[in-house]
Parts: sequence; C-alpha cells; structure tokens
Amino acid sequence: MFKNIIIGQYIPGTSMIHGMDPRAKLIVVFVFIINLFIANQFVSFSLLTLYVLGAFFLSKVPIRFFLKGLRLIAIIIVVTFLLHLFMTREGEPLFSVGFLTVYEGGVKQGAMISLRLFLLVVMTSMLTLTTTPIALTDGLESLFNPLKKFGVPVYEFALMMSISLRFIPTLLMETEKIMKAQMARGANFLHGSLVKRVKAFVPVLVPLFIQAFKRADELATAMESRGYQGGAERTRFRQQNWRGLDTFVLLTVVALMFIVLALRWLS
Amino acid sequence: MQKTSLRPIDITLVALFAAMMAIGANVTSMITIGTVPLTLQTLIATLAGILLGSRLGALSMIVYTALGLMGPPIFAQMSGGLQTLASPTFGFILSFIIMAFVAGKITEKSDNPSYRTFALAGTVALLINYLLGVHYFHYFQVFVLGLEDMRLAVSWSVMLPLLIKDAILTATSVSVLPRIYYAVQRSNKATYSHKQTST
Repeated sequence: MFKNIIIGQYIPGTSMIHGMDPRAKLIVVFVFIINLFIANQFVSFSLLTLYVLGAFFLSKVPIRFFLKGLRLIAIIIVVTFLLHLFMTREGEPLFSVGFLTVYEGGVKQGAMISLRLFLLVVMTSMLTLTTTPIALTDGLESLFNPLKKFGVPVYEFALMMSISLRFIPTLLMETEKIMKAQMARGANFLHGSLVKRVKAFVPVLVPLFIQAFKRADELATAMESRGYQGGAERTRFRQQNWRGLDTFVLLTVVALMFIVLALRWLS
Repeated sequence: MQKTSLRPIDITLVALFAAMMAIGANVTSMITIGTVPLTLQTLIATLAGILLGSRLGALSMIVYTALGLMGPPIFAQMSGGLQTLASPTFGFILSFIIMAFVAGKITEKSDNPSYRTFALAGTVALLINYLLGVHYFHYFQVFVLGLEDMRLAVSWSVMLPLLIKDAILTATSVSVLPRIYYAVQRSNKATYSHKQTST
C-alpha cells in the first residue's frame, strides 16, 4: 500500500517536461498559478487552457494519473460551479428551473472559477507527476539558497526532507510490526467504541516514539562519525543543470503573464 | 529565542518526527468515523511540540508540510502533491506548525510538566487547529471560490461534527501524552546519559 511513498506520484518518462530542471518547473508552475488568479477574461482562460493542454501532450503522462489527482477536488469544482450558477444574479436571465433562475453572469463566473481550480490542479499535478520528490527537494533548496544569508538553514531543511522521506517506509514497517505484536498480545484495533480503539493505539505509540528517538540518535552518531558538517562547501551526488529549454519555457510563461495582465487592464 | 545552528541530532529528530506525522496521518485509516478516516495528526503534532520543544517541533511540521507538497502521499487520506494547495482544508495542515510550536512553548514553561500541563497543551493545540483550519476553509471559499455570500457560521457548522470528534479524541489522547512523554524521557536518559554534555 505504501510502496509508492518514496517516488510519490512520479510517473517515469523521457519527455521534454520530465527532462526539465526541477527549479525551472517550480518557477513555471508558480508563475502559472499567479496567472490563473490574474486572469478574468475568457480569452485569458482559453490561452491558459491551451498552455496546460500543450504541457499535457508534451509530458506524455497518461490522463488517468491526472484524474487521480482531480478525484478529491472534483466535488468542490462541481459544487462551486452550481452555487455560482444559481446564486449569482447578474446579466440577462437565461432560463429558470422551478424557483431557480440562471443568469448569464452566474454561468460566466461559475465557469471561470471552476476552470481556474481545474487548471490549478492539473498544472500542479503536472509538476509532481513528472518530477521525483527528491529532485523537487533539491530544486527547492537551490531556489531558496539566497535565504542562507539571513540565517535560514536551507541546506539542513532539504536534508531533513530527504531523511524524512527515506525513513517513512522504515517507520511504517516498524509500526506494522508493533501492531502485530500487540495484536498477538490481545490488542484490538477494530472493535469497540472510538475511545477504546484510540486507547488501543497507546501501546503502539509508546514503543514507536522510543524507537524513533533511538533511530534519530543512531543516525546522528553515524553522521558525526563521518565528519558531517552543515552546508559548508558540500559537493553533490545529483547535479542539476539549467538548459536553454528551461529558459525558453520560463519565458513562455512570463510572456503569458504579460498577455493576461494586459487583457485584465484593457477590460 | 536564541538562534542556534542545528546539530546532527536535531536534524535527525526533526526528520523522524516529520516521518512519524506521515505515518500518523494514515496508519489508523482502517478506523473510520462515519466516512472520515481517523487520523492521529493532532496528537502527533502536539507530541512533536512537547517532545522536541517549540522550535524543533514546529520545524518538523514545516518539513512534513513541505515534503507532502512535493508529491509523496503523506497527508491524510493518502493525498499529497502540490495540488493540495487547491484544497480548502489545507489550513488544517498549516495549523500543525503553530500547534507544535504552542504545545512546545506550554511544556517548556513548566519545569516538571504534569497532567495539567499536557491537558492545557492538548486543548490549546486543538483550538488552534480548528481556528486556523476553519477560517482558512472559510476564506478559501470567499476569495478563491468566489462565494462572497458565504457566512462564517456556515463554515463552522460544516466543521462542527469533526470538531466534536476531535475533542473526544483529544480528551482521550491527553491521558496518553504524559505516558509517552515520560516513557521517552526515561529511555532517553538511559541512552544519552553518557554523552549529554558533548556537542
């Protein structure tokens, strides 16, 4: 069940988008999200939709993985659309169902806000579908690098994320082991009142936390004995390289931003 | 608060607590209340503050949040990835950071934390959880979904059943806090007594 924790939602591939620098992808998605919130014209939304469609075809990630990401948010999108459809009273009345009347403004607003949310989910899914969590962590680290000057432990932060990711499956196996051991002693996690079932977890949590502290200690000792020193001039195993393609994609999304801004101003 | 650099033990502890949070979010998912799977997130966020202190506790929750946004399905209901930003309940995840910080502060204030200290830490943490979570939920609807007519009271009433569930959970888990706290302290004393003075 948890076998995909380390790679997250990553779908391996060799597409142009898979090959982009994680830093470029992070910035592009960030700028794109800003674009989504600037956009208030149908032309802007069509352009943004085309952009996402282009990215979708270039990524070569099967559509079902995007649908998986949309599953949780789909209800919100639909409900928002319906609420706007029936609640907004602007523009010409189009038709009425019983006591509810649908106005032109409601359709417009509902469509725009649902589309915005939809594109937001697809674009952010694109990032995590085409990039491994480790690559993203490295990208995040080098993007936030300037903050080091202000005393923010950027390097350590990325290191903590990687260690954490590495230890989730380990701790999970441990949890399962402890749960089985306690079940063998008669613990019952599935029956009884809510309070009883929560209480049944105490004999799982206590050894789990003690074990976590021990593991942290062992790992720290291992780091110290290998002469670990924070960020100071460390070399990297995984190199990132920013290529012309990354600059180009970044330019397209910035250009899009200017267009969307101009359309907002002109309206 | 004095700024000290992170020692290796701080780094590994924070990382492991972030991992514990990931497990606490889903390990009890076979227990459901209605249709909502039970999570131990509030308990573990509070414990992070109590056991690691305010600074490292909050840091571990920041690491958890950042990691979850990078893709691994470690948020509740096995969700994760940057698309979580589009979810109206993201405020609950953000509140874990403040919860750990405040629970840590409350425990640090007392030299010899008692049952009452933990009860206070647990209750305050739960309040922070819902104040932040529900307000985020509400303002997400107003500003992002454009539902300007939404009333705050409506948002609260949507969340009320969950608040009741979590209040019961907190009341139960508060009795657990001292047991875990002292068990960990004892075990730490046994392991670290010979090297507490180094670094």
